[in-house]
Amino acid sequence: MKAVGARLPRYDGVAHVTGKSVFVDDVRIPGTLCVKALRSPLHHAGIVSLDTSKAEKMPGVHAVVTHKDVPLNVYGHLSALGIPADEPLLAEDDVRWLGQPIAAVAAEDEDTALAAVEAIKLDLEERPAVFDMRIAGDPDAPQIHHWGNWYPHFEAEMDVRQIRKGDIDAAFDAADVIVSGVYRPAAIEQAPLETQTGLAVPEADGRITVYSCTQALYFSMGVVAAHLQVPLNRLKFVGGTVGGGFGGKVDTAAEAICALLALKGGRPCKWRWTREEEFLCSSTRAAWHIEIADAVTKDGWILGRKTLTLHDAGAYARFSPYGVTKHSFHHTGAYSIPNLHFDGYVVFTNRSPTSAMRGYGVTSVSFATEVHMSRIAKELGIDPFEIRLKNANRIADTSPNGIAYTDPSTVPTIQAIAEAIGHELPAEYRAMTPDPREGDLLPEHLAAQVGEVDH
Amino acid sequence: MAKHTGRGISAIEYPTGMNQNGDPSQAWIKIKPDGRVDVFSGTSDIGNGSKTIQSQIVAETLGVPYDWITYDNSNTDSSPVCTGTFASRATFVAGKAVEKAALSAKEKLLEIAAKELEIAPEDLEVVDGEVIAKGAPQKKIGVPDVAAAATWVHGELITGTGAHLNPYAAIVDPETGRVDSPPHAAISYAACAAEVEVDDETGEVRVEHMWQCFDVGRAINPTLVEGQIQGGALMGLGLAVLESCYPYYPSVEHRGTEFGSYFVPGIEGLPKIDTIIIENPSALGPYGAKGISEMANNPQPPAIASAVFDAVGVWVTELPITPERVLRALEKKDEGPRRDGKWVIFDEDISVNTVAAEGSRFRFPVGA
Amino acid sequence: MKLTVNGIGHEVESHGLQSLLYVLREELGITSPKAGCVQGGCGACTVLVDGEPRRSCLTPLAALNGAAITTLEGLGTPESLSVVQAAFHEQYGSQCGFCTPGMIVATTALLERTKKPTRHDIEQALAGHYCRCTGYVKIVASVEAAAGGAKK
Repeated sequence: MKAVGARLPRYDGVAHVTGKSVFVDDVRIPGTLCVKALRSPLHHAGIVSLDTSKAEKMPGVHAVVTHKDVPLNVYGHLSALGIPADEPLLAEDDVRWLGQPIAAVAAEDEDTALAAVEAIKLDLEERPAVFDMRIAGDPDAPQIHHWGNWYPHFEAEMDVRQIRKGDIDAAFDAADVIVSGVYRPAAIEQAPLETQTGLAVPEADGRITVYSCTQALYFSMGVVAAHLQVPLNRLKFVGGTVGGGFGGKVDTAAEAICALLALKGGRPCKWRWTREEEFLCSSTRAAWHIEIADAVTKDGWILGRKTLTLHDAGAYARFSPYGVTKHSFHHTGAYSIPNLHFDGYVVFTNRSPTSAMRGYGVTSVSFATEVHMSRIAKELGIDPFEIRLKNANRIADTSPNGIAYTDPSTVPTIQAIAEAIGHELPAEYRAMTPDPREGDLLPEHLAAQVGEVDH
Repeated sequence: MAKHTGRGISAIEYPTGMNQNGDPSQAWIKIKPDGRVDVFSGTSDIGNGSKTIQSQIVAETLGVPYDWITYDNSNTDSSPVCTGTFASRATFVAGKAVEKAALSAKEKLLEIAAKELEIAPEDLEVVDGEVIAKGAPQKKIGVPDVAAAATWVHGELITGTGAHLNPYAAIVDPETGRVDSPPHAAISYAACAAEVEVDDETGEVRVEHMWQCFDVGRAINPTLVEGQIQGGALMGLGLAVLESCYPYYPSVEHRGTEFGSYFVPGIEGLPKIDTIIIENPSALGPYGAKGISEMANNPQPPAIASAVFDAVGVWVTELPITPERVLRALEKKDEGPRRDGKWVIFDEDISVNTVAAEGSRFRFPVGA
Repeated sequence: MKLTVNGIGHEVESHGLQSLLYVLREELGITSPKAGCVQGGCGACTVLVDGEPRRSCLTPLAALNGAAITTLEGLGTPESLSVVQAAFHEQYGSQCGFCTPGMIVATTALLERTKKPTRHDIEQALAGHYCRCTGYVKIVASVEAAAGGAKK
């Protein structure tokens, strides 16, 4: 019996329908304490003073942690990829988003934990905030990040992610029409049904077991090990059964703080984010601002594309440089556009830091470029299927960064949709395939971009 | 004062694996004395079904029934590294590691079976839990008997390990963005058509029907693939017409703090969703599979936006396409884009050219 | 006070304003009802109170004296799945599994009162149950299969 290709039952199906699947919040460890955090009430402020003494002395409070308790407070999740660290686990000198964690407590029960948080004395000096990416680049914009208002550490210390290909000026000179537009897909929540939940248990042998809802056990273990400055075998991450993630459970939101509290208090510490915390404080999909100008011919060839992308990273970089890089690599969508001028910026604003969500970096491209393509079709009076099919990636066409496509399926997927909705394509378009361009499908302007396919 | 129907389409692509690669996954397998198979993988299942399809890959590769597989991804003491369940890599990259582990275990299994049957391992195959001589099916031994022989006769442990890593593709020239090798494991493709009904008095957009075609390379489990496509469709619908962390973006005012004030799509008014799966196998993925779970929510927003234009003649390019945005666009419908020489310039009022100050770092020159 | 859950009587210690969700999960260790939002907004905490689906996160203990509570655990077991549980499994109506307890409980109640629910009945019964994973298509198929209706 073949297993691959078979509609076999879910491995965890019976467990799910009988309530036996174990999520982090279902784990029962005797003596578990409740964790609550002190979060910034302001969008942008300097921390003048922080006094946790009253909270620490409160009956039922086992541990309070601040930045002072974190062996390595500022650790970059993607340091291994050359993205330097900018975000503290617990705020030290300033806060840059409303909800940023400043301190955390572990107490006998939820009411005590909340009262302890209330008892922490926090003195802030408010600073001006920036929320609109488009003005973050103004000469007189308030500076809200110690690197400036946009990420300056791409390769060669560039402050912009660039793609340059072919001769964009020649393309714009040769165009019959140039269509420009502005696209702003929204910041949205991953909103999984399970909120961020972590449970850290100090074990008798000195190890810490961390029950985690992470999408990436080893990645999150690495983050906690770095903050705690311990080797990986000091930790045991337990999980693998997650109540929805969609990219929002890679940021390792609860685990490091739980581990610190467990170490300090000597008791298991669980932090289950409230739904309100999930909405207000967990990372979101980024809002994007994408301006596109396409140089096109009357008969629907896209000769060249200029793009300006602003990505709203929120208060800290997290994975945004990665997201903008991925976005740049795919900014032509499913089409072969030979002349390109792309600039993409990771812009900081005083909102909750943005992070991965389903389609990271490319969801925005798909929205912007596909609406733009439909607009071009409308302007030129060309069928929206036909304009897509002729510009669609073919085998050996090259990507924005010079890699030849080996098996693009743009043509068959478009043809399948045309058939599904009963849109009749002319014979010439019905006959198209992903095979390398030739004849009418290889006009002069596309010749130079044809590459070598690596088989 | 009427409801108008419109259709729009989109065609997209999306990479499988982390951008620029360098994201390892590993797995190991051991076979118990009665032939049952234990798989240790580090891949978290976030609902996408990675536990299921990785078990299917092992069953297929090893040649044993699916229900002989025990899959353990529960902890970092027994499971090796998996970079994570993101970047659509759980089927391709992590699945490849699991496939390699199964091949490695199979090699050991056949080595023992060869001793038992006195037939060279290359002349043996494993089918439905039995090791059979190719071309001479009467010469066979059950996997349970091979495992027992390994344990009690030969003093061997049947295991296999596998690791997969696509090498990091560095940006060789940051001025142009050129890379030295493919910065992805594979690329997946999809196309979508959406049909909407727009009420020109209330501005409400109802998504009635979505047709989606996905090239998944190879559907390891077609029902799970459908589930991803359907789930993605609703998430895409949410991004298109319902959801916003910041209803007055870029203002941070009035953020929704509960499901009643942040609009996740519900079951009422579920659009009809037609799914077409194409299998154009990837060169290197396990059994030709590619990842599509993220891409699943990418094609709907533009198809819906184009459908809104088709219905009522306005382009709404700020998401979500709320009734307010539709009505405001309808008020300005006759304005159209600015035309300057061969330029057709849309959306100037929201461009950086209008909003940013003189001397801003962010400029996008338009016009003749 | 006394609370009967899945046919077993318990003497619960929590005060009268404590939520049924808390009592079930923290006092009695019955973890299928989930704390998805604890705001009454998602449906993941839904249990049957004298056969009626209720948000356990919003139901205070004091309102339940003598009530019979049924959770997902009481509907069936891996060895003996209920019709609804079997349908959700066979029709793949569950992905991450977090919304599943509430979905199955609500569906069970629906089918008790309406043997052949229309599509509208199904949408009404599950309108307050969010699923972020499935897009609801296979959930609808699961309900229809449980009702003995068309498979899709």
